[in-house]
Amino acid sequence: MKVVGITTQQEVYVGSKERNFRINEFLIIEDPYQGDLIGEVVEAQSYNKYMPLSMHGELADSSVINSLKAIGYNIEEDTIYIAKIRLLNEALYPIESGSDVRIPSFEEVKDLMIRSSADEGLVLGIIKNTDQMAENMDEEYKDLLYTFEEGKLKKQRDIPYIFDIKSMHQYPHIGVFGGSGSGKSFGLRVILEELMELNIPTLVLDPHFEMDFSQISPYLPKEKAKDYKDRFKCLQVGHHVGVRFEDLSRSDIKNLLGASSPLTDAMSNVVDILFRGRESYNSFYNRLKMLAEAQEEGSLDRIQRRIDESANDLDREGWQKRKELFLNYDKTCPYSSVRGIIWRLTRLENEGIFSKDIRPIEEGLHMGKLIVVQGSTRILQVFSTYLLNNLYHKRRDYKDAQYKNTTAEYFPPFIVVTDEAHNFAPKGYEPPSKSILKEISQEGRKYGAFLILATQRPTLLDETITAQLNTKFIFRTVRASDIETIKEETDITVEEARRLPYLRTGDVFISEASLGRTIFARIRAANTTSPHRENPFDELRNKLMEDDNKFLQVIQDKLPINGDDFINVIKEIEKETGETYPITLFEEKLEDLVEKGLLKKKKTPFFNIYTK
Amino acid sequence: MYNVNEELKEKIINLNKLLLDKYREIFSLDGTTLRNFIQREIGEVKKINRLSQEELSHITKKGGLLGVDGSNNRVGGAYPHFVEIYQALAKSTIHANEPIYKTDFYSPLCPENENRDNLENPLEEDQSIRSKKLSTIEVEVALEGVRRFKPYAVIMDGSLIRYDIECYDRWQELREECEEKNIILIGVIKDIKTYIIGDLLVKNGLLSKRELFYDRELLYGLLEYGEIIEISAGVTKKAQEGFASLFMRSSKAPSVIGMDILDSQREYLEEMARLVLTLTPQDGRGVPLWIDIVDREVRITDQLIRGLLESYLDREILEKLFISERDKRTL
Repeated sequence: MKVVGITTQQEVYVGSKERNFRINEFLIIEDPYQGDLIGEVVEAQSYNKYMPLSMHGELADSSVINSLKAIGYNIEEDTIYIAKIRLLNEALYPIESGSDVRIPSFEEVKDLMIRSSADEGLVLGIIKNTDQMAENMDEEYKDLLYTFEEGKLKKQRDIPYIFDIKSMHQYPHIGVFGGSGSGKSFGLRVILEELMELNIPTLVLDPHFEMDFSQISPYLPKEKAKDYKDRFKCLQVGHHVGVRFEDLSRSDIKNLLGASSPLTDAMSNVVDILFRGRESYNSFYNRLKMLAEAQEEGSLDRIQRRIDESANDLDREGWQKRKELFLNYDKTCPYSSVRGIIWRLTRLENEGIFSKDIRPIEEGLHMGKLIVVQGSTRILQVFSTYLLNNLYHKRRDYKDAQYKNTTAEYFPPFIVVTDEAHNFAPKGYEPPSKSILKEISQEGRKYGAFLILATQRPTLLDETITAQLNTKFIFRTVRASDIETIKEETDITVEEARRLPYLRTGDVFISEASLGRTIFARIRAANTTSPHRENPFDELRNKLMEDDNKFLQVIQDKLPINGDDFINVIKEIEKETGETYPITLFEEKLEDLVEKGLLKKKKTPFFNIYTK
Repeated sequence: MYNVNEELKEKIINLNKLLLDKYREIFSLDGTTLRNFIQREIGEVKKINRLSQEELSHITKKGGLLGVDGSNNRVGGAYPHFVEIYQALAKSTIHANEPIYKTDFYSPLCPENENRDNLENPLEEDQSIRSKKLSTIEVEVALEGVRRFKPYAVIMDGSLIRYDIECYDRWQELREECEEKNIILIGVIKDIKTYIIGDLLVKNGLLSKRELFYDRELLYGLLEYGEIIEISAGVTKKAQEGFASLFMRSSKAPSVIGMDILDSQREYLEEMARLVLTLTPQDGRGVPLWIDIVDREVRITDQLIRGLLESYLDREILEKLFISERDKRTL
C-alpha cells in the first residue's frame, strides 16, 4: 500500500495491487518527514484497466476472459484498489507521495477507539472494520458482546464501542435518529440495558409499550443471558402512577389541561381565578360545576327564585353558594370557557390521572432503577410535563441547596429517555412538555439531569433542543430533509451522509462531541427482546393451530364420529366442557380438520364417518 | 450553433455522389453471387468454432501465447523538426508479470548512417527509417520472448509481411527460430488493406469499371460470425514471400480481419483462426482481447512523452527544435 497521486494536508489517495480497502478502516501513513500519521478510509474503489466501463464500446465477455484464464492469464490480477483517506489530525505539510501505508496495531489506535473501561461505560456495539487491529487487543476488551448479522449471532471480532458515560458530565445529551426499521429502537434498548447494568436512575417515556426487559433473547447462549427483572419497572399512567391533585400548582394544572391542545386566554384566566391551589379535585370541580350551573340559569333573579323555591335547606344552601360564585366570577369567567375547563378536567379524571401519584417513580429512581412510564402519546404528553417538572425541580432544589449550604432532601441525578421525541418537543408549536425538555436540555448538565431523545424525524424536533444533543447516534435515514438536518447538526462528512440511506439495520454513525469525529459502529445484539417481536402473521397462524388443537382434543375420545350422530356428540361435549356448537359449525370444523389432514373421512352410503 | 459554409456543404454532397457512383456496382452485387465467386476463385468459405477448454489448456501446457505489439509517439512539428519514440512489448499469457520491452527513437535531426537506405527523396527515406525502427524492435522483443518463454504461439499485431519488407534480417532470424522450435507465428491484421477479390472480379469481367476495390469493402457484412476464407496460394502475392493467409469475421461486428501465418506452418492455420475467434469478444470490434491488452500496455501517452522530454532534454533544444507553433496554440 502506497500513497499515490496529489496529496493535501487532510486527504490522500492510497493504492494497492493486492489488498482491497474497506470503508472506515484505519490506516497509518508512514511519512518519511512527518512520521506516522493516522487516517480513516472514507472512500474505497477498485479498478481494472482492461475492463473499462463503456456503454457503447466492447465489453470483454466472460467466455473470452475464461479463455484467457485457460491459457494462463488471469485478468483479475490486474485489478488495483484505491482508497481515499482522511487524516484524523491535519498534517503540517501535504503528505509525501509514495509514502508506505500499513495497518495500525491496537496500541496505536487504543486511545482513539476506547475511552472507557467496559465496566464503567456503556458497551453498545463494535466499531466496524477494526478486526485486523483487534487481533492484539487487550483481553479485557475481548468477548464482551455478540453482534447479530444476517440472522446469525456472531462473536465479537472487532474493537468494542464503549460509550463513556462519564463524558455526559460535559456533553450531556444524546440524540438517536433513524427511520423506522433502521435499528433505532433496538439501539435504544441496548443503551437502556447498559444503563440498567450500571444502576443509573433512568426514566423512560414509552408510548409504544415496548420497553419491557423481561423477555430474554432466545438466541443468546444460556451462560451469557442476563436477567434485568429486578432492575426495571413498567408503570402505566392512570393505573400505577398518576398526579396527586393536591400537589398541583396553578401552572401545573394549566399545563395538564393544556397538554393536548393549548388553552385559550379565557380558559387560562378561568383557572387563574377559580383554582386556589392545594385543594382537592372535588373542591375545584364543584366550584367550576356550580358556577356553570348558575350561569346556565342566566340571571340573578332566576338564581334568587331557585333559592326561594328550594325544597330543603341543603338545596337552598347550594343555590346560595351558586349565587355567590355567580356574583364574584360571572363577569370574569365566560360560560363557554368554564365549560371547556370542566370538559378537559373530566377527561383527565376519566383517564385515571388524578387517582394515583408519582411516588413509585421517585422510589424507583432512588434505587437506581430504570422506570418505564407507559401510556398513549397524549397521556404521556400530559403526564410527562408534570412528572419531569416535578423530578427535575427536586433534583435542582437539592443541588441548589448544596451550593447554598442549606439542606434539602436528596434526589439522585437521572436520565430521561424517550422515543418519538418530536411528539414531546416539536418544532413550531409549544406543548407544555417542550418547555421542561428545553430547560433540561439547556441547564440539565449543571444538575445532573440528562436526555436521550430518539426520533425518526429529526427535522420535526425543536432546534434548540437538537443543538444541545452532543452525541448523536444516526441510523439509516432515507428522507432527504432529515439527512439535511443531520448534516447540519452533526460533524458527519459528505461521504457519510451519502451512505445514510443505505446503512444496514443496526449499523450506525456515532457523532461524539467529545471525540470530534464520527465513528461507524454496529449495535450489539440485545440481551432482551421487545414484546412486539412476534410477527402478526405468525400470530394468526399460531392462533389457528392452537384452536385446531383445542378442538381436536375436545373430540379426541369421541372419535370415530358418525355423520348422523352429531347431535349426541355435541350434547356430550356440552356436558363435559360447557361449550356448545351448532350442528353446521361442528360439521364445518370437522371438514376443516379433514382438509388439513388432521382427521380422516370415510364415506358411506348414508353418512360420513370421521376418524383419526 | 456552427456557421456552415454553403460551399463546404455542397462539396460534401458532391463527395457522397461521387462515392455512390463509384460503388454502385459493388453495393448492388448479390451476396450469394459474391460468395460463390469467392468459393470458386479465392478459397473455401468455412465455418469454425471456438476452442474448447481442453484445447486451450493444451495450449497452456505447451507454453501459452506471446502477444507482440508496438507503439509510436511523435512530438514536434513538420519534417524534420520532430522526434518519434518507439516502444515494443512482448507479453506472455503465462509470465504476464515479465513483460519484455524495447524502445528506440528517431529524429531526422540526428543522422544515423547505418540506417540509410540511400533513397533519393529525403521524405521517403524518412518514412522508411521510421517503419524499419518500429518493426525492428517488435521483431526483437518477439525473438527474446520466443527464446525466453518458448510459447506455443506468437501473435504479432499486424501483417507478417510488413516485417519481411521492413527488417528482413531480423525477421529471418525470428522466422528460423520459430520454425526450428516449432513455435507457431501469426499476425493479426485489424485493418486489411489488400485488394485480392476486387482484382479478380475485374479480371474475370464481373465488374465493368477497372477501378481498385479493396477487400474490406467487398467483405463487409458478407461473412457470418465465425466464418473464414482461406486464401489459396495462387491468388496472393504473399505466398511468394512464404506466407499463408485468411480472412475471418471474428465478432458480431460486420467487418472482417485478416490473419497471416508462416507457409511452413500452414497446417495450423485453422487452429490459429479458432484461437483468435476464442479470444475475441463477440460484441467487440473483432480484435483478440490479448492483442488489446498488449496494445494498452505498450501505448505511451503523449503527456508522458512530453513530460520525459521536458525533464531530460535541455530546455533550449526542446524549444528550438521540437516545440511547434501548433503546440502553443490556445484558441
